[in-house]
Amino acid sequence: MELDYLATVLLSSLSSASVLLIATVGLAIVFGLMGVINLAHGEFIMFGAYVALFATRNGVPFPLAVVLASVVTALFGAIVERAIIRHLYGRILDTLLATWGLSLVLYQSAVLIFGTVTPGVGMPQSNIEIGNYTLSTYLLFLILVAVVLIGLLYWLLTRTGYGIVARAAIQDPQTAATIGIESGRINTATFALGSGLAGFAGAILLPAFPATPSMGFAFVIKAFLAVVAAGPVTLSGTVVAGGALGSIASMTASFYTTVMGDVVFFLATITILRIFPLGISARWRLKL
Amino acid sequence: MAKAVKADMPRVARFEPFSLVWFCGLVGLAIVASLAFDPYLAYVATSWVIFGLLGLSLDLVWGRGGILSFGQTAFYGLGGYLGSITAINFASLTGNTLVWSLPVGMATGAATAFLIGGLTFYGRLGPLQTTIITYTFTLVLWTVAVSFTATVGEAVVGGDNGMSNIPGYVLGLGRDAPLLEPGAMFLTVAVIATIAWYASHVLMRSPFGLVVDCIRMDPVKAELLGYDVRLYQLLLFTIAGAVAGLAGALFGAWANYLNPSVFSVQEALLVPIYVLVGGRGTLVGAFIGALAVGGLSFWLGGGVIGGQTTLVMGACLILLVIFLRNGLTGGLKDLMELARRLARRRDQGEEAEARKSSLSVDFERLDLLRTAGGEPVVLETEDTFKRFGGVTPVRHISQSFSRGRVRCLIGPNGAGKSSYLKACTGVYKPDGGSITLAGQDITKTDPFRRVRMGLGIKNQRAQVFAGLDVRRNLWVAAYSRSRDARMADWITTEMLHMLGMRNSASRPASELSHGEQQWLDLGMVLALAPDVILLDEPAAGMTNEERRQLSHMVRALARTASVVVVEHDMDFVRTLDADVTVLHQGEVFARGDIESLRQDDRVLDIYLGRRQHV
Repeated sequence: MELDYLATVLLSSLSSASVLLIATVGLAIVFGLMGVINLAHGEFIMFGAYVALFATRNGVPFPLAVVLASVVTALFGAIVERAIIRHLYGRILDTLLATWGLSLVLYQSAVLIFGTVTPGVGMPQSNIEIGNYTLSTYLLFLILVAVVLIGLLYWLLTRTGYGIVARAAIQDPQTAATIGIESGRINTATFALGSGLAGFAGAILLPAFPATPSMGFAFVIKAFLAVVAAGPVTLSGTVVAGGALGSIASMTASFYTTVMGDVVFFLATITILRIFPLGISARWRLKL
Repeated sequence: MAKAVKADMPRVARFEPFSLVWFCGLVGLAIVASLAFDPYLAYVATSWVIFGLLGLSLDLVWGRGGILSFGQTAFYGLGGYLGSITAINFASLTGNTLVWSLPVGMATGAATAFLIGGLTFYGRLGPLQTTIITYTFTLVLWTVAVSFTATVGEAVVGGDNGMSNIPGYVLGLGRDAPLLEPGAMFLTVAVIATIAWYASHVLMRSPFGLVVDCIRMDPVKAELLGYDVRLYQLLLFTIAGAVAGLAGALFGAWANYLNPSVFSVQEALLVPIYVLVGGRGTLVGAFIGALAVGGLSFWLGGGVIGGQTTLVMGACLILLVIFLRNGLTGGLKDLMELARRLARRRDQGEEAEARKSSLSVDFERLDLLRTAGGEPVVLETEDTFKRFGGVTPVRHISQSFSRGRVRCLIGPNGAGKSSYLKACTGVYKPDGGSITLAGQDITKTDPFRRVRMGLGIKNQRAQVFAGLDVRRNLWVAAYSRSRDARMADWITTEMLHMLGMRNSASRPASELSHGEQQWLDLGMVLALAPDVILLDEPAAGMTNEERRQLSHMVRALARTASVVVVEHDMDFVRTLDADVTVLHQGEVFARGDIESLRQDDRVLDIYLGRRQHV
């Protein structure tokens, strides 16, 4: 095995893991701070992708379209939280069912509105060469995006008023309530943040993953498994679990098929959960 | 006196001849329907019954077991594929197709469910994690099935193109046995489904079903009664997998064709809708739901919502979950329950006063329920310690508990009392040292095994199965000990007498007052006839009169069993005339009787937080 081949495999695994992380982190935040798994997360990604697609089609520059998609999806998430999630606090399995229903409503609406196939955005494709192999520059760029995104979230959750209050509310809801933290508003904000991150993922991944109604399903298998494998320590757990599992799946996929990658991802998660039933981070002393 | 007589004849987990009437009625209904339906309707209605069967499998695990599985369509699809592959290859040997497809379908569904259930339940995953695993399992199967091609004998599995040539319903034997007409096909499927429903119904009425209900209500308490919760969940999941596999095999023969869409999310979504519409936990509701959903879209004309089925169903699911989570039959049942409760409240007004005073413990019967005599059973901990990260709540505690005198553990908050107790019950696995019960090492034994070995545990919070009546609560505990329904009946009756709860035997535990629930919980522990009894703050929330009785009972118990009481309440401890051990910072600090400890300055120091010993 030559060095250039090795470097290529390594970089492409890293970028796959970054893609997974970008697509997962919104789900992980909602799970970590609200204890809710949003089964419509994949469709929120799709939602963001379509917003970005339409914005660019109408002449909005791509970076601005990404911001727009994040904001619009976040607003949509806030509405969903107020209309549905709010009524189901403490009924965790019912929340799963309701968001599952929402997932299919969104999927089917997209099929009705856009048809099953839509072209991607015309971004100039550039590649870089490593020895005899070429890699898409955009996929490498996504590694950087993932790093910056995680850094920003860490800052948001540890250094801002919202972040500290949200983490307090999940660690000790009663104390939080007695010192006047309004958990309802915090939950709306958290769900909107998670949704906004999904919208951001759909938009930023658009040049590499074209918008289709079923694109959500492609992400969610890995995203759900990564969050479950990560466990309670939201951010670092997801980075470790998502990074490791994503790389393994990506290598499997490059040697065999993408389907095989999914299967290996599933089996690896089951194995991890067999050893750490509540996720790898269950016994960590880290809090974030 | 009619009431008292009734209370003496408990009917728990008994076969009810009445349900046979239902069975015959349903079969009769199927016969009438198969004659009345025109062939097309009979053909379509067959699929509704099959979907109802699929719904039944979810209702077993979710409605009764409390495990939300999105994987029932996975077992269904796999059962369908493997059952149909077998039928394609071997049906020509017998003519009859179902003898091949149904057993293989059931076996496949059961085996897959066993595997997935084994991984999730024995991994002790949380409910959320279990649901996610079943969901992703279905999604992974779907992506695999789309690209999976294989040829097995005569059967060609063509990935997205599906598998055709699946033989239809043939009941006769021989090479040229005829294919069933739609009417006869409907009848066949309806009879099979009725048998499956009836079998599930009888199973859920048996002690197995009662324990499954208890696990749904409070898995921790079920384990503390000595039931192997994971084994019960796994068995239930496997049975439900078999039902789903059966439905899959029936579906393959009905459609003569299978493709990966059986694993699709759109397909999976329908299953909880059937269950929710018909009412969760009712078993028969799954069929009602499937018939209602299928019938509605049939009469609306498939075309009206045809393409938008997914949209409508998704919206329905959201609305059902928010507004009608017990379904149509569940909603009706709730109304009836409400009416019954109102009616009962009226004639219970005068009884209430009588009951309050009837709660008196009959200590004569205590000895009856205990397997007293023989060597005293000793619970011993040696050098036990437990650490969490930087905190060590239990440091090297060595204690031996035997019968004769009540043992009390006291200490200020954070002294390690609860952690030590949890190490003894098996909730925490100690990081060092050993725990023995009756000479056997139980350091790493699961809680339910400790209970079976003679450990009785009563947690601080009253743990009763709120949805069951008082008698059933006690019966479940008694059955765990005897594994014999008649024996359990007898213990239950004795226990009801002893607790003075004969008049409230048929009341749901949720209606009891806080103090009564504590007594019931204690009664459940005693019904296990434990040799060692651990009581965590038993007097919390009791009235003075109840405390007095409790103290009396604990002292009586200590004559035949080793009793350990963890308590905050010094006045209560004083009435127990106990051998008191003071814990402080995870270690034994002092030991003696309460009067001498009250004179001990060091003990007062740690309680008052004074400097010398803190």
